[in-house]
Amino acid sequence: MTRTPRLTSDTAACCWIPLFALRCETARRPELASLPLALLAPDDTRRLWQVAPLARRAGVKPGMTVSQAIGLCPALKLCEPDPVHYDEQFARLVAALVTVSPVVEPVELGRVFVGTDGLEGLYGEPEDIVETILMRSAECGLRNLPNAECGMGNAECKGRRREANDPSLKFRNPHSAFRIGWGIGKFVSWVAATRAKPGEAVIVPVGGEAKFLASQRLAVLPLDPDTHRRLLQLGVKTLGALVALPEEAVVSQFGRAGRRLWRLAAGLVSEPVVGRVVPEPIVAALTFFTPVGDRDLLAHALDKLVDRALGDPRRSGWRVQVVRVHAELEHGASWLVAATLKDPAATRERIAAPLKTQLERSPPAGAVERLVVEFTAFAPGTAELQLFARDAGAAARAGRRRALQSAAREIALRIRRPMLYHVIEVQPWSRLPERRYALIDFEP
Amino acid sequence: MRNGTDRLRALNAPQRVRVELDEQRRPRVVKREAGNEKRVESFGENWRMDDEWWRQPIVRRYVEVVLEGGGRVVLFEDLITGEWFAQMPA
Repeated sequence: MTRTPRLTSDTAACCWIPLFALRCETARRPELASLPLALLAPDDTRRLWQVAPLARRAGVKPGMTVSQAIGLCPALKLCEPDPVHYDEQFARLVAALVTVSPVVEPVELGRVFVGTDGLEGLYGEPEDIVETILMRSAECGLRNLPNAECGMGNAECKGRRREANDPSLKFRNPHSAFRIGWGIGKFVSWVAATRAKPGEAVIVPVGGEAKFLASQRLAVLPLDPDTHRRLLQLGVKTLGALVALPEEAVVSQFGRAGRRLWRLAAGLVSEPVVGRVVPEPIVAALTFFTPVGDRDLLAHALDKLVDRALGDPRRSGWRVQVVRVHAELEHGASWLVAATLKDPAATRERIAAPLKTQLERSPPAGAVERLVVEFTAFAPGTAELQLFARDAGAAARAGRRRALQSAAREIALRIRRPMLYHVIEVQPWSRLPERRYALIDFEP
Repeated sequence: MRNGTDRLRALNAPQRVRVELDEQRRPRVVKREAGNEKRVESFGENWRMDDEWWRQPIVRRYVEVVLEGGGRVVLFEDLITGEWFAQMPA
């Protein structure tokens, strides 16, 4: 029996892009950057999910209903969420980070920990490691990277820093808000990332955790609102103030959670970054009753096999990067095609498309007796990926959405003005019919 | 930003119309701004609505009608301005 290696790292770099989904929208539609923008929640389009700073200034907050938000900010621009797109963008970032370190732990959209143990030999001091991370993240394929690589005081970046001071530019691209925190354990590095300026890094030297944490606000702790309120009522506003209390006193007030909070605040807890071992190749095969030469039937079989391979539990949390198809033909011949996906995917349509193209272009020389689909390389996904694009239902939703987007694009090209809208509830209870529902642009 | 329309738009917004009234002050002919006019063939329900008296009062007299050709619309008179509007029935 082989033992699965455990990928862990005590030192951590926390890479954080706040409001990742919203920034993905402004990255692909820059004209939105200067508007008071909000994203609708993926699971409830009557509520807001993420809110841009301009809208926040008008009092709009995440979780508000659309009608509340419009009441506060009549010029609010609402966007439908596109979770699959955000997930793809995040997967790109994670894939870029894997080239820096094999220990990568995605936590949520826009937040990922990179284990940095042992990287000193490759890159040097933590400052150099962080610089490498910034560089690789900038190279991960998203365009318009205003200040992602400017974090470490590079002289070339001064002009771009000025650009970063323009609030509308700062909000344009996911990477313009890329922040890194480095330290021992995930908590310290996360707090450091929250203190970093956009495009920059905060490094907490080893041994300096307690000093660094002491001045941080209480809100950086994973607190429930009730505990937070009680601590504030006790006059505890910083981690330093919390640590100044005897540990046992905190435990007697808040129980086991109190002990954990106190130890986190004191810098005594260091949770390592835990990476995941890339799965072995996943294989799905089909032996035909009689040899098949019909291309439509082969394409259909290909779809089924890709579906089956995607459903393998080992694939959970991973996107497919390289896929191979081989066929055993009549009379002992064989056929093989492979595709490397530029953007790793977890949907049947995107994985099967290049294979079907090759099937059309260079079909098997004879009838196929056995068809085998093999996923041979993977890129890390996220928890969101598992929510939105893992199972067949989600893949079908993503497929439908893509088809809709493609149709919408075609219509927009033909009529050259926006004519597609999405209906949202504004005040469905209103006695005035015109206030019950509204249209927002449907933009593919 | 696309030609200033890039924002929330109300669905079923009232369309201003001109109406000719009969002796009972019921709409007899409905003229849309585009110029076409249609006779009212029959009446359905009518009701009155008073709302938002604490802010900018809204007082409307609604009447549901069937126009010649079979189209069903809801007309309302803004009792503050005296203007008439048409809306799609709910």
